[in-house]
Amino acid sequence: MTRLDKLNRALEELCGGSVRAQAEEDGCVRLTGSLDNWEKIVQAGYLAARGKKWRGVLNDIRFTGQEIPPMRTPALQDNAIDGAQPDVLVIGAGIVGCAIARELRRYDLDVLLVEKEHDVAMQTSSRNDGMVHPGIDLKRGQLKQRYNARGNAMYDALCRELGVKFKRCGQYLCFEERAMRPAVLLMPLYFRLKGIPCRYLGEQALHQAVPGLSSSLRFALFFPTAGTVCPYGLTIAYAENAVQNGARLSLDTAVLDMQREGRFIRAVQTNRGTVYPKVVVNAAGVFSDRIAEMAGDRFFTIHPRRGTNSILDKRASESLHDIVSTMGALKTRSAHTKGGGIVLTADGNLLVGPDAVETWMREDFSTDAAGVRAVFDRHSETSPQVKQQDLIASFSGVRAATYEEDFYIARGIHTHNIVHAAGIQSPGLTAAPAIAVDVASMAAQLVAETRAVGQNPNFDPVRIPIPLLREMSPQQRDQLIAQNPDYGEIICRCEEVSRGEVLDALRRPVPCDTVDGVKRRVRAGMGRCQGGFCGPLVAGIIAQELGIPLEQVTKKGRGSELTAGRTKGGGSL
Amino acid sequence: MKQYYTDVAVVGGGPAGLAAALTANREGAQVMLLEREGRLGGILKQCIHDGFGLVRFGEKLTGPEYAGRFLDQIAESGIEVMTLAFVSGIDRTGSGYQLRVICREGLCVIHARAVVLSTGCRERTAKQVSIHGDRPSGVLTAGAAQHYVNLLGQLPGRRCVILGSGDIGLIMARRLTLEGAEVLGVYEAKPEPSGLARNIAQCLTDFDIPLYTSRTVTRVFGSERLEAVEVCETDSQMRPVPGTAQRIPCDALILSVGLIPENELALGLGLSLDPRTKGPQCDQRMQTELPGLFCCGNALHVSDLVDYVSESGETAGRGAADFARGRLPQAKTVPVQAEGPLAYVLPQRLSADNQEKTVFYFRAGKSCGPAVLRVRCGETELLRRRYRALRPPEMERLVLELPAELPAALQFSLEPEEPGEEGKQ
Repeated sequence: MTRLDKLNRALEELCGGSVRAQAEEDGCVRLTGSLDNWEKIVQAGYLAARGKKWRGVLNDIRFTGQEIPPMRTPALQDNAIDGAQPDVLVIGAGIVGCAIARELRRYDLDVLLVEKEHDVAMQTSSRNDGMVHPGIDLKRGQLKQRYNARGNAMYDALCRELGVKFKRCGQYLCFEERAMRPAVLLMPLYFRLKGIPCRYLGEQALHQAVPGLSSSLRFALFFPTAGTVCPYGLTIAYAENAVQNGARLSLDTAVLDMQREGRFIRAVQTNRGTVYPKVVVNAAGVFSDRIAEMAGDRFFTIHPRRGTNSILDKRASESLHDIVSTMGALKTRSAHTKGGGIVLTADGNLLVGPDAVETWMREDFSTDAAGVRAVFDRHSETSPQVKQQDLIASFSGVRAATYEEDFYIARGIHTHNIVHAAGIQSPGLTAAPAIAVDVASMAAQLVAETRAVGQNPNFDPVRIPIPLLREMSPQQRDQLIAQNPDYGEIICRCEEVSRGEVLDALRRPVPCDTVDGVKRRVRAGMGRCQGGFCGPLVAGIIAQELGIPLEQVTKKGRGSELTAGRTKGGGSL
Repeated sequence: MKQYYTDVAVVGGGPAGLAAALTANREGAQVMLLEREGRLGGILKQCIHDGFGLVRFGEKLTGPEYAGRFLDQIAESGIEVMTLAFVSGIDRTGSGYQLRVICREGLCVIHARAVVLSTGCRERTAKQVSIHGDRPSGVLTAGAAQHYVNLLGQLPGRRCVILGSGDIGLIMARRLTLEGAEVLGVYEAKPEPSGLARNIAQCLTDFDIPLYTSRTVTRVFGSERLEAVEVCETDSQMRPVPGTAQRIPCDALILSVGLIPENELALGLGLSLDPRTKGPQCDQRMQTELPGLFCCGNALHVSDLVDYVSESGETAGRGAADFARGRLPQAKTVPVQAEGPLAYVLPQRLSADNQEKTVFYFRAGKSCGPAVLRVRCGETELLRRRYRALRPPEMERLVLELPAELPAALQFSLEPEEPGEEGKQ
């Protein structure tokens, strides 16, 4: 019996007769048919991926249970980038796309980065826990493992260059059952062989290092290379550095179609005009399989997996001060299930989560009460000091998982002038810096087939960040206020953000004109009152700076206006 | 860095801080009043409805008018006012307190013998009451909505749902209706409304705005602008009842789901908060556990009438002035205990050198019919008073003349009236 027959038999068992697998000429397997049960569709995909017998799984089973919402596209229609002929067109301004755009500017290449949202880092890159992983649960041979290790090692220098806060706080992997002790004692050796520094901590040492932990935890492994970074902060920094070095960024720009000639993409259509790139980089996150399909070069399928994290009041991390000062990140016993953990974010909030829910909705960022409660129940077992009453916000992100559960980073096979950086999910944040280096190099080589590509002698890797006044010494802060009194006027009381910082956020290389954009750049509205006090003030500053009426100021771009217009006698201000 | 020296520093220029500063000044202390906004008056600035000052001035004033009465006096008082001045932290020193202040002139340090915290409160947010979904615009707290309408001339939405029957929510229901928005209803998760009876009558009944009790909002729909909310019935524990969800199209959800006293500065000084009031514990002079540190107004406990906020400010201001001038002896304290269905009694303790009439504030934890409040000190009963009805939204005020010496804890107890007892009195 062939591998295809075996697969079809297994699919028959799982789905009845409604699904078929067929072998493609390029070594992929394609699943077709229809099912009204999304879970089964996902199971069928995993079944096909088992044992890695195919080059890739193309799961085209139609979901009939509910309508799959179309990709959200900007309403904007213009010709802003029409006719552009960049050397490289990067699709998607998440962490991966922004990092690639920056790395591409090390070469003398004309780079255009397009993003369908109104800002960079709008999807998964701003919706994760910000952990820089040591790579505990990654298997040798996986791209994930390779890029995680390389990316992790790049973080200190990179964050210094880009002016981004990064804390290499280490991660505790705690265990409850005494019976596991002999096995755990051996693990440091195993991890060291895998190249991951690791130390065993007995009960006393653990509770001394992390005093807020539940007493039921007996011992732990400590991984000193784990860290935390602000994921959208890093993405914005990458984008700003790319733009500062001459990359062109076009927001509100969705790729709608591609024209190919033979093995080459010739034209890429967007809502802002048609672009004629030499090389296309696919960094489209949850839509990377759609882009690959457009390019005629699809070898994988994205099955979206939503995860919800909850952020706690900074006061909660103050009470957990002893834990967080020494470690910051900690995971519960079961690192191998997607159970998430308790992370002290680089900005000082405790974060719990994430969970993992398979979904057919690629852009469903909603949270639900039951999911959030379950995450709290779970993590309050790890530390009784994790309490839902300290919650200030929850958020969801969607992982761009493939059935192979690995990154897909490769030059095109059917189509010559494309490079994919796809299927990037956890640990994508850790891996992104290394992925970007390789993808930029692959793209540069492709361009070099048409013309000589040299280094960019003017490339400046250093980005000057917005000054972070609340973390400065009083002398430094005083000096800065003397130069610019706006730094002395506090707008956001919870996070101590000044008018000067808000204005800075609006005047950076990457355009920002929304309340959420300001929030992601300087944290105004991130605190415990969630913008109750500063929201109207920030909106007023945006209106003034942009010279627009207040009713045109949006939360996150067109369609999200903050108000419904003026009151009867209003608008005199 | 500039250094300032003063007897009393008042943090927050809302109604509590204004009263505290004026009183401390009147008592002969040198006073600095610090306000983080550009203008004094606190949240009163945006409260353009009337009803303020009935207790204090015997007339119905708007918020700005009420604040104006104090501002006129401030202007003539010689109190040093710093606006756009943000207090980022307070440290204790040998001779009092140091306030770290950020303002447009730079950082400065204010050395004060006594400090009054009148920092007000903030509003609970959607996530804190477990409203889920995505994060569209159009979901805002009642206070933010009030800011948009009354200070910025902006309408938060045209079809509004209000969650929570707290006073600001009720007032905003009326305000939005007057501005031409349609208020689809006020939803309250509890079986009874939490605002003042007069606000229910004047803001909802008079404008035909429906009030739905035992119902709450559980979810918002829309990813850019709010498109609809999901409303569920609630059980006696205020949990949503499965299977009762109903979708209501609207473009604004306005939350009036509770106020939380702002006490970051007190916490920074190591004070613990009373879990019942969410403010620091204090004595009858509004002095906290730290000598020379006073707290008043909504930072101490959430009041429903501004008149009482001002009163507590005056008490704190007087205490702070006395402390700064060395006229406040350190005396032993006795605790004030609350029993029965009392949510809390304020102050939480009394310094034993009590010489004047003492003001107490208390709140019932649940609605009760005829009930008897008893105040005892050891075996001695100091007061027995019958209340026809007590409701949690309505704070009660009580003045007691206490004996000069208090040998034991002061016990407040609230007991439902026995049937037939009414006839006896």
